[in-house]
Amino acid sequence: MAAVTSVASTAAAPATAERATLWGKGVRITLFYLVLLVIAVIFIAPYLLSVFAAFKPLSAILSQSPLRPPLHPTLANFKTIFTQYDFGRYLANTLLVTVILTIGQVTFSMMGAFAFARMEFPGRDSLFWVYLMTLMVPNVVTMVPLYVLFSHSGLLNTYWAIFLPYVLGTPYAVFLMRQYFMTIPKEVMEAARLDGCSESRILWRIVVPISRPIIITATLLAFVFGWNNFLWPLIVTNSNSLNVLTVGISNFESNFGVQWNLVLAGALVALIPMVILFAVFQKHIVNSISLTGVNR
Amino acid sequence: MSSIAATEALREEIPAAAPPAGDARATRTAFAFLGPSLVGVALFLVVPVIMVIFLSLVRWNLLTPMKWVGLSNYVNIFRYDKFGHSLVVTAYYVILNIPIQTVLALGMAMVLRSKRFGSGVVRIICVLPFLATPVAMAVVWNWFFAPTGIINQFLGHLGITGPAWLADQATAMPVVAFANIWQYAGYNMLFFLAGLQAIPLSMYEAASLDGATKVQQFRRVTLPLLRPTMLFVLVTGVIGSFQVFDTVFVMTGGGPGIATQVANLNIYNTAFAGFRIGEASAMSVVLFLVILVITVAQFRYFSKRTTYEIA
Repeated sequence: MAAVTSVASTAAAPATAERATLWGKGVRITLFYLVLLVIAVIFIAPYLLSVFAAFKPLSAILSQSPLRPPLHPTLANFKTIFTQYDFGRYLANTLLVTVILTIGQVTFSMMGAFAFARMEFPGRDSLFWVYLMTLMVPNVVTMVPLYVLFSHSGLLNTYWAIFLPYVLGTPYAVFLMRQYFMTIPKEVMEAARLDGCSESRILWRIVVPISRPIIITATLLAFVFGWNNFLWPLIVTNSNSLNVLTVGISNFESNFGVQWNLVLAGALVALIPMVILFAVFQKHIVNSISLTGVNR
Repeated sequence: MSSIAATEALREEIPAAAPPAGDARATRTAFAFLGPSLVGVALFLVVPVIMVIFLSLVRWNLLTPMKWVGLSNYVNIFRYDKFGHSLVVTAYYVILNIPIQTVLALGMAMVLRSKRFGSGVVRIICVLPFLATPVAMAVVWNWFFAPTGIINQFLGHLGITGPAWLADQATAMPVVAFANIWQYAGYNMLFFLAGLQAIPLSMYEAASLDGATKVQQFRRVTLPLLRPTMLFVLVTGVIGSFQVFDTVFVMTGGGPGIATQVANLNIYNTAFAGFRIGEASAMSVVLFLVILVITVAQFRYFSKRTTYEIA
């Protein structure tokens, strides 16, 4: 506090003419909205222009201004990538893998978090330490040995390989939910235990309903992670039929790089579901991200 | 991801004494709940960390028997695999990426914290890229930055002949950095928004009563009080940036030449194109150490400088 008050404390600013302040206010508001506009354009334009292009034939993409909306929108590009190429398969694979990954990760992390937060057993605190330590291990460290493990257990090139490392729960999700469960008064659970409630009933009937915000957070984070994951599926699968969208898009682009109509349509197959997810859950997503920030 | 939150949690946990050994049944129940995540953490995190150190000391292509080579992989990756170059390129990427991203995120938070009409919507729009599939966005950027792409068309209208962006040694990395800044600036803005909201208004009132200008208030009140947020944003950003892969892989593939062959891409190529597991593991260990040292340095720097007490 002392340092704050020590900043130059000379006389207050002289009063300025009222007209000048009004003028200044007008300029400030104009500037404010100009900045707002620039920010909005920068973040929306890439989506909008790709959508424009994906509904045009290649000739129109190459000859027209990218800013021009498609006057005769065509679904031909999407039809091509879904019928002549395997984007239907990629989309189905991605959905399958992401849903399994999300359900498993959230359920198992929740159970682990519940044990850490509200159960007593020998070794609990040291085990929690181990979980926290593994939080600090970057993905790049585990990538090569994990590949070796999977190749030796014959799991390469299976659906299992794509989601297995993430489906049993992650220390991060456990940590996130455990912190939340710690805020639930112990008495609530003690009472239920006295009434003869089993631990799993307590978790599902009492803890889960109270903890909706953090469970939604963990679910959204797991889903977005699964949907966008690229490096790991790229490593462990090498057959086209097992490709997820990210890998499919990357391969497709290296084969058909200049056919922007098809390539951009492919990119949108991955992007649009996320935009819809965002539109539906925007409040939750914004709150979720904030929840994962600095714990106070 | 949230190593800061984690260390804070640790700090509050230490006094909690080990729980009394409850009855065997309660322990069994607890481990039944803990089981799946315990197996996951052990098998997919703890075991690989131990393995990577061992693997970095052998020569192995997954097929023929392993050969113990001691520390020679650690020498060879710098001598023959240009891993030093990869580290420099990665550092260059981080330096392009992090300062701009952080300044933009803070600037956007300062503007968008306003209660004026419209800021709420724009705040939401900024977060949208966080969900955007990086691989798909990389494809979109490839289109934007193609030699005859949108960017060069636009520059053409201004009478400027744009470079070949991703095929040009000078511009390839900045374009990749731009893609990541676009993706994460809004995400980091949310943390700064939360941080700004936590600063009591009375701080600013006191400062302005003392005649502090807006600039002085920013430097003496806002920045110091945002220090925990800044640490979080920088640490998570730096850890992520050092492992950049998706955008580089799709946008440049490490090129032109090896101008953008970041560390993670070198590891990928060594392990999964060359099947030289030992060398790739050694690279992973070195990259991990680099990340670790920089993370520790950031914690040191931010804890050394005094913070204000909010009573």
